Amino acid sequence: MQFFQTPNIDFISRRRYAYFLSVGLFLLGIVTLIVRGGPNYGIDFKGGTSVVVRFEKEISTTQLRDALASMGMGTSEIQTFGTRNEYLIYVEQQRGASATETARRVEEAISQSVSDIAYEIRSIDTIGPKIGEELRKATILAVFIALLLILIYIGWRFELVFAVGAIAALFHDVLITLGIFGLLNYEISLKEIAAFLTIVGYSLNDTIVVYDRIRENLKVLRSEDLMTIMNKSINQCLSRTVVTSLTTFVVVFILYLFGGKVIKGFAFAMLVGVIVGTYSSVFVASPIVLEWQMRHGGKRELKMARKKR
Amino acid sequence: MRGKDVAKTVIIVFLVLWAFYALWPTYKFWTIDPEQKKTMEAEGTLYELTNKAIKMGLDLQGGMYLVLEVDLPALVDQLARNKDDQFEEIIEASKEELNVSTENFMTILRRNFSERNIPLNRYWGERGDSERKIVNDLEDEAGSAMTRSLQKLRNRIDRFGVSEPNISPLGSRRILIALPGISDPEQAKELIQSTALLEFRMLKDPEVFTDVIEKIDNALAQERGARTPEETEAAEADTAAQESEQKPSQDKVISVSELFGEEEPTPVETEEGDTSLVVDEQMFEENPFLALLRDTRRYGHNVSVPIENVTAVDRIIQREDIQRHVPSDAEFLWGSEPFTIADRTYRELFLLKKEAELTGQYLTDARVTIGSDVQSAGQPEVHFSLNRQGARVFSRVTGANIGKLMAIVLDNRVVEDAVIQTKIPDGRSRITGITDMDKAKMVSIVLEVGALPAPVEIIQERTIGPSLGQDSITRGRYSALIGMCIVVVFMIIYYRMSGMIADVALLLNLIFVMAILAQFRFTLTLPGVAGIVLTIGMAVDANVLVFERIREELKTGKTVRASIDAGYSRAFRTILDANVTTLLTALVLYQFGTGPIRGFAVTLSIGIVVSMFTALVVTRLIFTHITARRTLTRLSI
Repeated sequence: MQFFQTPNIDFISRRRYAYFLSVGLFLLGIVTLIVRGGPNYGIDFKGGTSVVVRFEKEISTTQLRDALASMGMGTSEIQTFGTRNEYLIYVEQQRGASATETARRVEEAISQSVSDIAYEIRSIDTIGPKIGEELRKATILAVFIALLLILIYIGWRFELVFAVGAIAALFHDVLITLGIFGLLNYEISLKEIAAFLTIVGYSLNDTIVVYDRIRENLKVLRSEDLMTIMNKSINQCLSRTVVTSLTTFVVVFILYLFGGKVIKGFAFAMLVGVIVGTYSSVFVASPIVLEWQMRHGGKRELKMARKKR
Repeated sequence: MRGKDVAKTVIIVFLVLWAFYALWPTYKFWTIDPEQKKTMEAEGTLYELTNKAIKMGLDLQGGMYLVLEVDLPALVDQLARNKDDQFEEIIEASKEELNVSTENFMTILRRNFSERNIPLNRYWGERGDSERKIVNDLEDEAGSAMTRSLQKLRNRIDRFGVSEPNISPLGSRRILIALPGISDPEQAKELIQSTALLEFRMLKDPEVFTDVIEKIDNALAQERGARTPEETEAAEADTAAQESEQKPSQDKVISVSELFGEEEPTPVETEEGDTSLVVDEQMFEENPFLALLRDTRRYGHNVSVPIENVTAVDRIIQREDIQRHVPSDAEFLWGSEPFTIADRTYRELFLLKKEAELTGQYLTDARVTIGSDVQSAGQPEVHFSLNRQGARVFSRVTGANIGKLMAIVLDNRVVEDAVIQTKIPDGRSRITGITDMDKAKMVSIVLEVGALPAPVEIIQERTIGPSLGQDSITRGRYSALIGMCIVVVFMIIYYRMSGMIADVALLLNLIFVMAILAQFRFTLTLPGVAGIVLTIGMAVDANVLVFERIREELKTGKTVRASIDAGYSRAFRTILDANVTTLLTALVLYQFGTGPIRGFAVTLSIGIVVSMFTALVVTRLIFTHITARRTLTRLSI
């Protein structure tokens, strides 16, 4: 079985449509992020206490909310978590109360709200505000270090222009995924950041496969221009791109469906990332190299086209 | 077949055997039924098994994860001498600033002192010491406090008997504690946070105590009288409404705001606890403070407070204007355990001298026994003894205060109070009134291990119940299985025979990853499971690259064997480049991530490296075996 016999699609000359799509999605994401005043940070980054509790019988959220309000925690967020009788209660960092003190009070409120229904505290998460901020900084640093390492590696294995194209594709992927998270108002905590970094790795994987083909074809097809070589390379890799993206997409989708609430955000970020990453390796990474080269001397200026490795 | 291929085959067979050997304990551990588990636990053979099975992270097996921070302000406060009001004011201001600032405490403290033109050496170090030296010394002290805290905490937790705890430093000020499978998180926190400051203090005489209580009562009554009549009326109307509902009881429920009046700003630093209080209505009008107390014992040296009123009383005695009525050498302290008489629960309030006669630094050993005298029969008690020096002081203090009341105070809670009957020469004493055995055990442990050099604050807590962990395991396993099946079937449909070979590689990949996790004691977390699932998806990528190449080569008219050779050699560089970059991000994740994220980075990295081996070496070898004997004219790909 084969999806494509001998594909010959002119991807590169359609790159302008892709630019519109990318920039559109990107702007949409940025605008929502600005309107919402930044990403919807999860507990890891904003601090506070979240408690997951499961009740034996059904209980109304008002009941819970009243009990929390009587403990001076009226502004808490209550959301259903997984099954119907399971709730996640998020309380902001209380002034003057230690982190664990808040958790204890939430537990107290829960036991007050239900006198006859058995309940089980399934998890407690408490993060001090300082830790949240530190994590945020450390994460941003981590992302930048990852990008820098990649830039150096690709610059070394290929050429600096290619590294720039790859990094642009990565920014593109992460920012669009971030924008989609903003659009849907999904929470971003550490697990989602891990997913973003995995997207970075994954998208890069795709991009490098294409680059590698371009590198090879530059030496073989000496008489062709860069645009033709790029198109040809992308088409040659198309089968592989589709098959790999498909298998990865399927397993991540399964994880999204059956992995449970704890891992759902992570799986969703990966789902979006696989799609955007595949798209960007075709429509963003290579066209950027092309745009650059067209302005700076075309194919001949690429060292890779000249010397043998 | 060449000799090189024979060697490769032998190595692979050997690796597969090793993988099964490494995974055997895990398989056994996952499949034994709970009953068998119990008998094995009793025999002590279970430990051997868990020690070799794949280690589960806290998010999978349930447990508690804490990050503690040495309370630097408290330590700095402890180390200071000649403390005065100005000092307290600066410390308070610095603490408040710390809450909103990103600077560290020492920087803030130093700035606050220099802004007020007060040299640090007024409170710390020697007179001639420079600012820099004092700051350095304080920082050294904080570092050593951290190391000592770490040791003490390790000691406490080990003695309490938590299995496989992880207690390690995190940076220079923090301690990470992971307690897998803990059943009572509250107790664990108490065990960790208790500073175990043991003090013997004299109680103030009953007359002084009564006098102070009355003074506070008068002050509050005056304050209430000063309020406008309308307000009181409104309060009374409220009372009437309440009363009609609760006729049988002569107690009424009032709100805290009524007690303090609307104009009283609620102090933010105190606990916002119960808002309903139980008071005697008539008495409340005349004696607002006394009404909150209920003296059931009528000893005179302490007073019992209904548990509902504890928060309100505590708030009153903390108030600055009320503190004026307390003698400067004394302070109020609460009893450690609430007690119940006739369906009502109370807590005791004591007035003690601020200065301790003796502290726990002289303590040599502490152990739990069951009480045998009339009062405490059957209840756990903690007996402890003091060393020679401590015993001498104890003997002198008891001898000088016969007939007076002494209290044993642990972490600012009164755990024992008694009239000194005789001089106690041997330095032995005990703590009674502890309700359960675990608690007694905990008290004895913290006493014996000794006080932490500085208070520690829990700044992050993550508790995962065992049921949630079990859910995650089930779901993770389920997802991995389904994902795997779909990919396997897809590969067979798309690449037929060659797809099957890739599936063998995929299966081996999974087995090897698990075996490496088990063998090298890596921890499997929930994101780690996600990493494995992701690896399944990405592991086929290498084979897809190779197979697509082989197809291309076949199209150019090469023979099967030549196409396979070309496919593998051409795809290799691509696969290497692509995987190295993914590995780079995984390494960064490992370096910067915490517990669960690290688990993800670990499984992803192992998955990538293993997939290079299984997808390139193993499948290649299978192809070699197939094409070795006969010359294939067609390849099923």
